[in-house]
Amino acid sequence: MNKLKPIFARLNKFPRVALVVIGLFVALGTFAPWLAPQDPSAQNLLQGGLGPSVAHWLGTDHLGRDTLSRLIIAANTSLVSVGSVLIIAMTIGILMGTIAGYHRGWVDDLLMRVVDVGLSIPSLITALAVIGIVGPGYWTMVLALALAWWPMSGRISRAVAVSIMSKPHIEALRVLGASPWRIYFGHLLPGTIGAVMVYATADAGTAALAVATLSFLGLGIQPPTPEWGQMLVDALPYLESDPRQVILPGLALTAAVIGFNTLGEAIALNRIPKPLTRRMLAMRRIEVAGWGKENSDA
Amino acid sequence: MIHFISKRLKHSLVLLFLASVVCFTLVVSAPGNVAVLIAELRGAASTPGYVEKVAEEIGLNKPLLMRYVDWLGDAVTGDFGISYRTGQTVSADLPQRMMVTGTLIAGSAVIATLLSLLLGFLGAFWPYKLPDRVSRGLALIGASTPTFFVGALMIYGFSVTFQLFPSFGFNGPVSWVLPWLTVAVLPAAVLSRVVRVGLEEAMTSPYVLTAKSKGLGRTAILFREALPNITPVFINALGTQVGLMTATGIIVEPLFAWQGVGDYFLAGVRFRDFMVVQACLLIFLAFFIVVNLIVDLAVLMTDPRIRRQWS
Repeated sequence: MNKLKPIFARLNKFPRVALVVIGLFVALGTFAPWLAPQDPSAQNLLQGGLGPSVAHWLGTDHLGRDTLSRLIIAANTSLVSVGSVLIIAMTIGILMGTIAGYHRGWVDDLLMRVVDVGLSIPSLITALAVIGIVGPGYWTMVLALALAWWPMSGRISRAVAVSIMSKPHIEALRVLGASPWRIYFGHLLPGTIGAVMVYATADAGTAALAVATLSFLGLGIQPPTPEWGQMLVDALPYLESDPRQVILPGLALTAAVIGFNTLGEAIALNRIPKPLTRRMLAMRRIEVAGWGKENSDA
Repeated sequence: MIHFISKRLKHSLVLLFLASVVCFTLVVSAPGNVAVLIAELRGAASTPGYVEKVAEEIGLNKPLLMRYVDWLGDAVTGDFGISYRTGQTVSADLPQRMMVTGTLIAGSAVIATLLSLLLGFLGAFWPYKLPDRVSRGLALIGASTPTFFVGALMIYGFSVTFQLFPSFGFNGPVSWVLPWLTVAVLPAAVLSRVVRVGLEEAMTSPYVLTAKSKGLGRTAILFREALPNITPVFINALGTQVGLMTATGIIVEPLFAWQGVGDYFLAGVRFRDFMVVQACLLIFLAFFIVVNLIVDLAVLMTDPRIRRQWS
């Protein structure tokens, strides 16, 4: 128990809303198949559009499917796709960022110009363009979103990598004759991954939003699988007679995003305890200084 | 001044060129044979002879560089090729669609500016009091609510429950209100924080202390001293948000049955109509570049510090 104390002390400083919402989202998402009271795809047209009752706590949709079960399973869908998107995006971003931060010079310039262009285009437009060329599907959606997302983690990991590379211990390693591989894999990469992970958690909210938006447009997760955005568009034609089926998934998604956004704000305002975010803050300082430089260059 | 403008113009032209290259490569790298698609579209059985003729006609047999030059020349004059889905020219109703999207973005930008200034000033006038907390809460909710959910709530609230505004269509200012509000929510939330934080920063600066010691009231200080100081920052953030509105438009236009560029882009993506995707993408990218240029010039106009740097 004593070993857990520092962890709890650290968690206590997190914004409580973020902690509760993100905890709930992850727990629901992970254990959804065991938590859902009923089969989320079992239809019963005779019981369509019902209000809350003992059998269906949050009512049923127009096909008579249990809304509560669908909302819970949707958390799982969302968690899995957001996780895949972020893992792929961070892998690309961290690789590009650390390579740029390690090499500097023209490699750095080239990669960062690509990142700048990627960041200046709204992620929805990038993702839609990729889907438009490759064709819709679950993995296309994940890849398209990852392609839209990697520039963010790329820029952060580049800044972190630069700050790590300027540390004295790297210089010492060089003097001792450590190989570039050892510096890269033994010191640069682990440090960068840790810092970028923190940032990515705060970013998961916008990723969840993007998954829901693509599903809403019919280009993400396809119908029988429940997903909040897709549930919402499914119920939209019945808005007049049964607004509950539109509002519930919308509220669930909004709550999840609020949780992640609160966490993001806490990180940006430096409210998260030091050990977790020391590198991140160093990165932020460098990035902010970079903005000032860019502005004076322009 | 002139030096700055010419430098920015050159920069924008380079970006435009890069954007056109990106759009072109995207379609060239798309899987499938375009000539077969068009031949099928025209009802001709895809006999090799006819496919060959189509390929010749749309210049598929030329080298890549020549194709790019041809395409760019056409695109500059507003000719974006033939839609694979309908067989008609892509540019046929583009001006009309750009007008629709322009109406959406312009109206939303005005609403977002007014709302965010109101919320931000409320927060700055009573810092850390109730109005500030309310404005912060609204900003958090506004920034976190998915746009399509906002749209659905708008339709449910203003058009189903209280039948104030029509829920779809593009005819007259009354039908514009709901889409405008829907698109404006997110930028208003983000910008209100920009205003609030900017004002707080300005309020702690020495020149505000001077103004206070001269006996100026809080209102006078906020509007006369702090507001001009946050204008460049605000314009910068507004520019980013206006750029993002094109993405929100893609969601909102189909929701309200508006025939805008975003709607066209989405239809192109749905039916893998590459020429439409390409044309809309180029329009979007050109729009971002132009908005950025305007923002930079506006910042130059409103920020004497930068102006002095360049004169």
